[in-house]
Amino acid sequence: MISDTVVELSRLQFALTALYHFLFVPLTLGLSFLLAIMESVYVMTGKPVYRDMVRFWGKLFGINFALGVATGITMEFQFGTNWAYYSHYVGDIFGTPLAIEGLMAFFLESTFIGLFFFGWERLSKLQHLIVTWLVALGSNLSALWILIANGWMQNPVGTVFNPDTMRMEMTSFSELLFNPVAQVKFVHTVSAGYVTGAIFVLAISAWYLLKRRDLGFARRSFAIAAAFGLASTLSVITLGDESGYELGDVQQVKLAAIEAMWETEPAPASFTLFGFPNDDTMTTDYAVQVPFLLGLIATRSLDKQVLGIKDLIEHNEGRIRKGMDTYAALERWRAGQRDDATKAILLQPQNDLGYALLLKKYTPQVTDASPAQIQQAARDTIPKVAPLFWSFRLMVAFGLWMLLLFVLSFYYCARRTVENQRWLLWAAVLSLPLPWLSAELGWVVAEYGRQPWTVSGTLPTHLSASTLSIGQISFSLSGFVLFYSALLVVEMFLMIKYARLGPSSLGTGRYHFETRDAGQASLAAASPHV
Amino acid sequence: MAEFAAFLLSYETLRVIWWLFIGILLIGFAITDGFDLGVGALLPFLGRTDEERRVIINVIGPTWEGNQVWFVLGGGAVFAAWPAVYATAFSGFFIALILTLFALILRPVGFDYRSKLHDPRWRNFWDWGLFVGGSVPALVFGVAFGNLLLGVPFHFDADMRSYYTGSFFGLLNPFGLLAGIVSLSMLVMHGAIYLQLRTEGDIQQRAQQMVALATKVFMGAFALAGVWLLLGVSGYRLESFPGVDAPSNPLAKTVVRDGWAWAMQYVHHPWMLLAPIMGFGGAALAWRCSQQQRPGRGFIASSLALAGVILTAGFSLFPFIMPSSSDLNSSLTVWDATSSHLTLKWMFGVTVVFLPIVLAYTSWVFSKLRGTITVAQIRAADKAMY
Amino acid sequence: MWYFTWILGVLLACSFGIINALWLEQSGFPDEAPDDDPGVD
Ligand code: HDD
Ligand code: HEM
Ligand code: HEM
Repeated sequence: MISDTVVELSRLQFALTALYHFLFVPLTLGLSFLLAIMESVYVMTGKPVYRDMVRFWGKLFGINFALGVATGITMEFQFGTNWAYYSHYVGDIFGTPLAIEGLMAFFLESTFIGLFFFGWERLSKLQHLIVTWLVALGSNLSALWILIANGWMQNPVGTVFNPDTMRMEMTSFSELLFNPVAQVKFVHTVSAGYVTGAIFVLAISAWYLLKRRDLGFARRSFAIAAAFGLASTLSVITLGDESGYELGDVQQVKLAAIEAMWETEPAPASFTLFGFPNDDTMTTDYAVQVPFLLGLIATRSLDKQVLGIKDLIEHNEGRIRKGMDTYAALERWRAGQRDDATKAILLQPQNDLGYALLLKKYTPQVTDASPAQIQQAARDTIPKVAPLFWSFRLMVAFGLWMLLLFVLSFYYCARRTVENQRWLLWAAVLSLPLPWLSAELGWVVAEYGRQPWTVSGTLPTHLSASTLSIGQISFSLSGFVLFYSALLVVEMFLMIKYARLGPSSLGTGRYHFETRDAGQASLAAASPHV
Repeated sequence: MAEFAAFLLSYETLRVIWWLFIGILLIGFAITDGFDLGVGALLPFLGRTDEERRVIINVIGPTWEGNQVWFVLGGGAVFAAWPAVYATAFSGFFIALILTLFALILRPVGFDYRSKLHDPRWRNFWDWGLFVGGSVPALVFGVAFGNLLLGVPFHFDADMRSYYTGSFFGLLNPFGLLAGIVSLSMLVMHGAIYLQLRTEGDIQQRAQQMVALATKVFMGAFALAGVWLLLGVSGYRLESFPGVDAPSNPLAKTVVRDGWAWAMQYVHHPWMLLAPIMGFGGAALAWRCSQQQRPGRGFIASSLALAGVILTAGFSLFPFIMPSSSDLNSSLTVWDATSSHLTLKWMFGVTVVFLPIVLAYTSWVFSKLRGTITVAQIRAADKAMY
Repeated sequence: MWYFTWILGVLLACSFGIINALWLEQSGFPDEAPDDDPGVD
């Protein structure tokens, strides 16, 4: 067996490297479309200020992209290095989207990104515009495939256990592709990326407006970000989540945990706005509740029930017992008793073998588990409630705040008076970290909420890890932490340096630091006469 | 027609096709990202001034990113087609792979950030970062292949959990290191000839000298490794196995060690000798073309050499992918380490559609970015270049 | 079909950004020089 420490360290390493990766991913997803928008306007109007915008925001895009790639390479290999049993057990399905991602998305994005930066003089305007759109398409396709993979871990469809190979195998590619959980996840996550890109451009442009420099450049960037961001925030909030929750066992558990719903309430359930969930007593202290709201959000109806945690535990205890029968059948199969009855038990899609595997933590034999052990394993199917409860509420609060920000920005932008609303500009600048925080919190909800599983209902986390030594993982973990932290510092330094320089960094001679009278110069640059 | 389709899509054929696809991916990786790695390894030696180094970096700057995807895709494709290999090899070669990842991480940052600040210490630091990012992976890939030919100490338990019982330093045995030198020298040769193609003047001349040196080292090391493999390395042979279309379970077969197993491949299938011949011939030709100032042809010749070397390793091992030295029956082969039939079919379809598309747009991008890079260009576009 | 929604949504959000910029250009900024000759690079 693998020691708990190895599993814990592997989880920590995965969580840290993934969260690092996701510091850079959302900006790539969003900014690439913003660049495409700016360049489209350039091709339509011919105004050089828009080309300068593409080149300047493109520079910041490049600084971010480099670390997106640097942290992404690790992710691609980490399933093999640290999660070998997982990779063998579900690689038949899980490897497929990962490989397609490389073939269909990474090639597209990474091949054209070079031409994006170095092709300005070698391509026609239209060709370059197409290249920019292809970069955006590529980065979004990569999100698509990785989220299909991740969505499958949350709701493993189209797969069956094969006792001859001791692993899960694919039964339907289209079910994998059209997995409802994956679809919802994809829309929500890429929208989160668009919000990130929009806030990034909005906040930095707001800062230029506050400093009254490069006005023509800044107000155009602000306008595009406000419009794109408004649409994206609406999409993050409305399209995003709720709907994934009726499907999939673990999604139900997550929903109950997010809401700290200990008991099943008669429909429609009330929503806990605030409170302190307590895992030991299974109650929420100081709860502030809004009647009916949860029922509406989660089931979109007034009469469907939302299952509470206590009932889910009981339900899962039943599944563990069923899984033990399946496990017994597997033992007979491996001992050579390959009759049809045994086979039928094993090939049942709902055989709950995964639930029996939860018992491996307590007894390697599985079939000899005591009632107390079974109860303990059922209790394990519920993740810690408080982190989920809070992460979720923060994400939602930030989302609503950003919606307000975009509505106001768009409104004042349309009225041509943003430049006078200094409070709004300051609010935009200060909101810069929020989309990153929301996205990271979102992943905590999604991934931490999936515990104790790596693949929902199929493979427990404590079985998934590689047979490594603590020394090996300590080496890799500390290496990544040191390395990534150093790179992050360097990246932030360059970002801030170039954001401060602004479009002057392009060396066109038209912007703030290159001319004497600051504001005027960029207004001149914005209009083609001068 | 229907018969042909049935043959093509049979489990047995698809298993061989996927062996070929992974080989093609490796070759694609070596040809494209290979010259980037080689150029990285040469950067501090062929570029004497900051501007010369910028020339060298900008030769590969716009395209290295796409090239690296061959490597990333290699990881994904092994995962999808050979999950057991992905799991066993990457967790087994843990420290080696982590070190390679650390080295590779230096590259995106090195290319993109190096010239964004003027401080010479900063630039110097990243030049060495690019050197490490180029040379360490080139070396490690060779060492890994060398160890595959020797066999690796791992086994599976009944739940199909893999245990690696060797150590990191166990990989650094003499044969493994020799294979590392083969790989490093061949990628340096490849990188040098690419530089010769895309630069002028001093850098071009130094690159030409480097081609001469690297081809010699490469041919020597490759020949030595070949002799060693024949005389000193004991291969593996499948004694019995459940069949070419049986479910993928590595524990169902018997494997024996056989001193001549790797060499016998070439006796049974003499056409396989084309691979090592291509390795030597390609390198010799690359050298000649380079001396005659025809780096374009030289680049094609050196690409052939890379393909020859990779195929030599693949042919010698076939049908083994990763033989186990400590528990022979746990060895992974083309017949028992693959994904299910359905997964192989789907992945086959996706590859047949998308690989040609990728090749088409990649060549378009390369054609748009062709031409030599000079110091004058760097000066003229100081802020826009790497 | 959320994938379909995404395709429409992205196109919509991008057009929204483009149209907003074009509209601003069209109606001009009070303090910028009038712009009657676009297309000069
Ligand atoms: C929602 C989006 C998303 C998510 C969840 C992930 N990635 Fe990612 N990945 C991207 C979106 C993305 C991207 C936007 O496409 C990146 C970021 C910056 C970039 O260069 O491309 C990228 C880069 C990137 C690269 C470098 C590609 C290249 O060389 O061009 C690799 C190998 C991975 N990722 C692999 C992974 C793996 C194995 C993940 C899961 C464990 C993962 N990514 C999660
Ligand atoms: C890039 C965005 C992602 C972030 C920020 C993220 C976040 C996390 C976090 C916080 C954990 C730790 C959970 C815990 O240990 O309690 C985790 C674990 C894990 N995640 Fe994700 N995740 C991301 C993407 C993915 C994707 C796309 C996959 C699958 C393709 C995935 C697979 C896993 C696995 C295998 C583990 C380890 C096992 C576990 O602890 O659950 N993650 N991730
Ligand atoms: C009111 C608004 C929001 C709601 C109701 C909401 C809801 C959720 C829920 C329930 C999850 C968990 C999905 C799962 O467990 O599978 C989630 C995940 C996530 N959220 Fe949000 N969210 C909101 C706003 C945001 C914002 C503003 C961002 C970032 C800008 C964001 C980024 C993410 C990310 C990256 C994930 C992880 C990927 C995923 O599972 O879809 N969310 N969100």
